[in-house]
Order: sequence, then structure tokens, then C-alpha cells
Amino acid sequence: MSMHHYLLNSYIELSARERAQAMLDEGTFRELLDPYQRIESPHLLVQGIVPQSDDGVVVARGMIDGHSAVVASVDGRFQGGGIGEVSGAKIAGALELALRDNRSGIPTRAVLLLETGGVRLQEGNYGLLAIAEIQAAIVALREYQPVVCVFAGMIGCFGGMSIAAGLCSAIIMTRQGRLQLNGPEVIEQEAGILELDTRDRRLIWSMSGGEQRYQTGLADHLIDDDATRIRDAVNSVYRMQEKTIPRSSQVERYLNRLSSLDAGERMTPDAWRQQCKRPNETKKPTRELNLVSEAAISSRGRLFFNGLTEEEERIPTGTTTVLVADAWLEQERVRYITVVPDPVNRFERARNGEVGLDEGWEIAASVRQAIAEDQDGEKRAIVAIVDVPGQAYGYREELIGIHLACAAAVDAYATARLAGHPVVALIVGQAISGAFLAHGLQANRILALDDSGVAVQVMSKQSVARVTHRSIEELDVAAGKVAATAYDIRSFATLGALYSLLKDVRAHSPESRDFKIVRSALMDAITVARESTHDLSCRLQSVQARASRSLSILVRRKMAEQWN
Amino acid sequence: MTIEQLHFEYKAEREVYKKGHVGIVASGDLEIMVEPSPNKGAQIYIRTHTDGFEVIWRAILDRFMESYPIAAIIRINDCGATPGVVNLRLAQATEVMEL
Repeated sequence: MSMHHYLLNSYIELSARERAQAMLDEGTFRELLDPYQRIESPHLLVQGIVPQSDDGVVVARGMIDGHSAVVASVDGRFQGGGIGEVSGAKIAGALELALRDNRSGIPTRAVLLLETGGVRLQEGNYGLLAIAEIQAAIVALREYQPVVCVFAGMIGCFGGMSIAAGLCSAIIMTRQGRLQLNGPEVIEQEAGILELDTRDRRLIWSMSGGEQRYQTGLADHLIDDDATRIRDAVNSVYRMQEKTIPRSSQVERYLNRLSSLDAGERMTPDAWRQQCKRPNETKKPTRELNLVSEAAISSRGRLFFNGLTEEEERIPTGTTTVLVADAWLEQERVRYITVVPDPVNRFERARNGEVGLDEGWEIAASVRQAIAEDQDGEKRAIVAIVDVPGQAYGYREELIGIHLACAAAVDAYATARLAGHPVVALIVGQAISGAFLAHGLQANRILALDDSGVAVQVMSKQSVARVTHRSIEELDVAAGKVAATAYDIRSFATLGALYSLLKDVRAHSPESRDFKIVRSALMDAITVARESTHDLSCRLQSVQARASRSLSILVRRKMAEQWN
Repeated sequence: MTIEQLHFEYKAEREVYKKGHVGIVASGDLEIMVEPSPNKGAQIYIRTHTDGFEVIWRAILDRFMESYPIAAIIRINDCGATPGVVNLRLAQATEVMEL
């Protein structure tokens, strides 16, 4: 192939709109909510940022290989492809409408062209909620049609959107693309320069670049930077006859991979690649779990778990940090799951209650165990007790694929919800970022304690300051203007995603009186969840959401009008 | 950081039939959208990160409107583009609109 030809077909050099065009059959591209409709972010001007008329996402209808399709293409050059309220609602809306089509017998395909840093930090929890909705739609849509995602560079795919990618049926990458949950800057900020040195670009690419992800089985296709070849790869996914099991649903396989791993060793990307190529051990080796005194590692998650499950025996998991038990709540059988700290946890970066590699996959395993056991009977309720300070930020985590561990948990909770299990999240402490996406945000209903120690956000303030080049003071000013960037639970409540905010519960030292309040609220949420739809639509129907998330609603309505 | 919002009006009679959208809101670049105006004249709305450059914007637009006196609504979202980049993007818009 001549150099001239190569450059003519570069996919990376295309704009988001041109990329969408390149994926669709010639002459079939039709943009929805195009720039002239100016449905832009309302949250940026107040923070001194000029908005873009399409909010950085192009949604286009057309044909793929002669079949009805929708493509959502993120513009990585605008705000690093960050997912805000409008851009997130455009992607979620496109997937939800494709799902609607498929459910009514029109097999519409959905392709995501991602270049994104994850949540747009200037819009905080708007982005987090939108990403949860995108993830919910991917899991539901995947049952009907493969959901394909492409990231070629130059941004890559990070944050909550890397978890979304982990849920997809197929991932197509170029060597220039990167797939990683936590950006290097955030890892360095949270874990220190010894954990990851952001100046070492070579290490970063060899850890999470397209080549490595393909060689370690975390991406399906490694394609040259050529628009035609990428389109051919997308088409090839849809031409496959047999249905494949998405990576994030292959719990057994990845738990095996994890259990044969020495968590203390700092493996090179090359060594990990070699290890992945060895045949998978068929039997899971049993690991010694370190037993530590529970009193020494008290956490809100543990307190509420113990109080709500009482004397019920714990169901063993492969880690000390994921607690699981079944208990009765009136006539409801409930599976309680929580993540707790363990100062001697084998993964150093997951010792404070973070959702790490073991935690993500073990949550998935225990949710899926309940799904399997209840397959032919009454679907028990699943309650996620949420007290997670974040996902584990670390080199090993990224190398091995923490985005996929989080995706596994998302996948399991969403699958349980779709199967008819009432899934309820109870936020008793922190609910931060990817950890909250993995453990809580796929619930039918979300409850939270009205307490100053309860917080929902995307990243620590220090990291947000570093990534957005703003001071902590500037962030506090911004939080006064855009409630979605604040950390407190009352600000989060204004977004309408909470089913209820529980008052008068002593979050630090709950007693039987407090558990009574919580039990009755859980019972109410489970009952309501049993009677309602199995999707997340209730989050946009609340009184608060109709005011605070009016654009999330408007985008979906307009997109539906323009769909056919 | 504040955003400066500028508004310019020009007398312009030349009718346009096509819309045009070019560029991007990224550092050193800008987004331009041109649509036919229902009225005679040109309405230009600019939002920019870089305040204090009204005189320069006027100079650029004066020249542009002299060459292309189009009856159009022009919206510009600017992220610190230099006058050279602005002129390139305006030229690109005229190509897209087949002016």
C-alpha cells in the first residue's frame, strides 16, 4: 500500500462526524440532533468554558452492511471527549432507541466510536448518571445485537466509558488507541509517582495501548489506522453467525486468571502478555485468605452489612473484601453485598474498601450465583450496600484490566435487574466514580443516608483540580453553580436519581432503631422495584429530574422524534 | 475565567441556500456555523474565551463581509483561535457552502 493511499484513509485524522460517515454505508448518513439544533451543554458557560454546538457527540442513523444502524461518535478534541449531560444523553438515547427497535422486531445495530476521558469533570455527576444509563442500555441491547465499540486514538477510552467498553460485544482498537480505567495522571495523583510515573509514556502505552490489549485478550481486533479496514472489522462482527459471550460475563474465566496471579509482583507488560498466552488453568487454585480482626477494620459498609444480615451465615467469596449473605426481610429473601477494607488485602491498592480486580469479579460472581439459583423461581432481591471510596488506582490494576473487573460487576447487576431481581443500592458512606458505577448505579432504586459522610462524585477534589487545571477554590465556586460537581448527598439528591434520602439514621454507629428505619426503606424500595420496569427510566421521571435533568429528557425526546 | 459574548450586524443582501458547519471548540481552534437568515443582513454571534479582542474580530469580519456579503446567521464558538485560524475556518465555511 502506498503512503499516499494510507494517509487518505486515516481514521484517526477524521473528525467525529467523518468517522460516523465512514462506518455507515455510503450515502446513508443522517445526523440526529445536528449542530444547527444547538442542543449544547448548559453547564459550561457558567464555568467559563465555550460550549460546542453538538456537545462533542455525533449521533447518526444509516445502514451498516445494508442493515438499520445507529452510530454514536465522540469528538475527542472537544473537552477530551468528556461525557457531560447532553453528550451522555445523546449516546444513551441512541442505544435506548436501538433497543426499542430491536424489541419491536427491527434489528437495529449500534456502534460506538469512542475517544473519551470518561466523565466530563465540569459536569460531574451528570456524566456519572449518563454513563450508568449508557451501560444499562449496552447490557440490554447486547442480547439482541452485538454492540461494537472502536477506539483508535488519539485520546483513547478512559474512566466510566472504559467500563462501558468492557460491556460491549466487541472492541476494535488501533495501536494508537488506549483502553484504561484510571488515567495515568489520576493514578499518580492518588497513588504516588512510584506507582506510576506519568512521564514514562512508553510504559503507559505498553500497559494499555491497542497492541497490549489485543495480545492479552482485552480487545478483539487490532486494526491499522485505516477507515476502510475499521469499517470492515465492524461489519465482520455482525457477519459472525454464532453469538459470543461478552467478556464481562465470563466470570469463571477471569477469576481463574486472577487467582493464578501474584498480586505482590510488579509484572512488566510483556510478562503479563506471556502469562495470558499460557493455557488457562481449568481449576481455580484456592488461596489462603488472611484473617484479620474485624474490629480493626470497621467501616460503614461492614456495620450496615452486619446489622442487616444479623446472624445469617456469610456466603464465602474469594476475597476478604467482598461480604455476601442472604437474609430475610419480612417475606423477601435478600442477598446483601458490600465491599469492605482489609489492611492486608493482597492487592495493595485495594486495602481501603476500593473496588479492585478481585472485588469487581467477586461481586459479579455472587450476583450471578443468585441469578442462577433463582432462574426458575422467585427472584430474590439484591441489595448493594455502598461504601466505596473509589476504584483501585494502580499500575497492576490497569495492566490486568480493572475496567473489565468493574464491567463484570456492572454486567452482573444489570443482568439481575433485567432478569427481574429487584436491585437496590443503599449508600451508607462514599459512592465514588467507577466504584459506584460497578457497585450501586445499576440498581432499580437507590437509597442514601442523609448524612455528611455520605458523598457521591467522580474523583477526589485533588485529582479533579489536577486534570482540569483548576484550584480547589475554583472547584468549590463551580460546585456552587453546578450542583452535579458538588460532593454532598443533598446536592446529588437534586439530580433525581435517588429514590429516597433516609433521615435520622446514625451512620457512624447504627443501632437497632436505625436498622429498623433502613429495613423499612429497603422493603419499600424492593416492593416498588418489583412492580416497575426493569430499566433505569425511573431516574428521569422523578420530580427533581424533570427540573435538574431536563436536557437529559429533552435529548431523548428529540432523538425519538428524529429517529425514523 | 469569563466568556465574552459579542454580537455584530452587517448589511448584506446576498442570499445563501446551504448551511455550513466547520471547525471545533478545541484549543487554538473555533467552530463556525452559518445558516441562511430569514431577514436581509448578517447577524454574527461570537462566544470566546479570550476577551478584549472585539476590535480584531470586527476587522476580520469586516473583510469577510466585504468579500461575502451574505444574508446569514453566523455563530462562532471560539477557543482562542488566532486571526489566521479564524480566516482559514471562514474560508473553509465558504467552500462548504459553495459560495
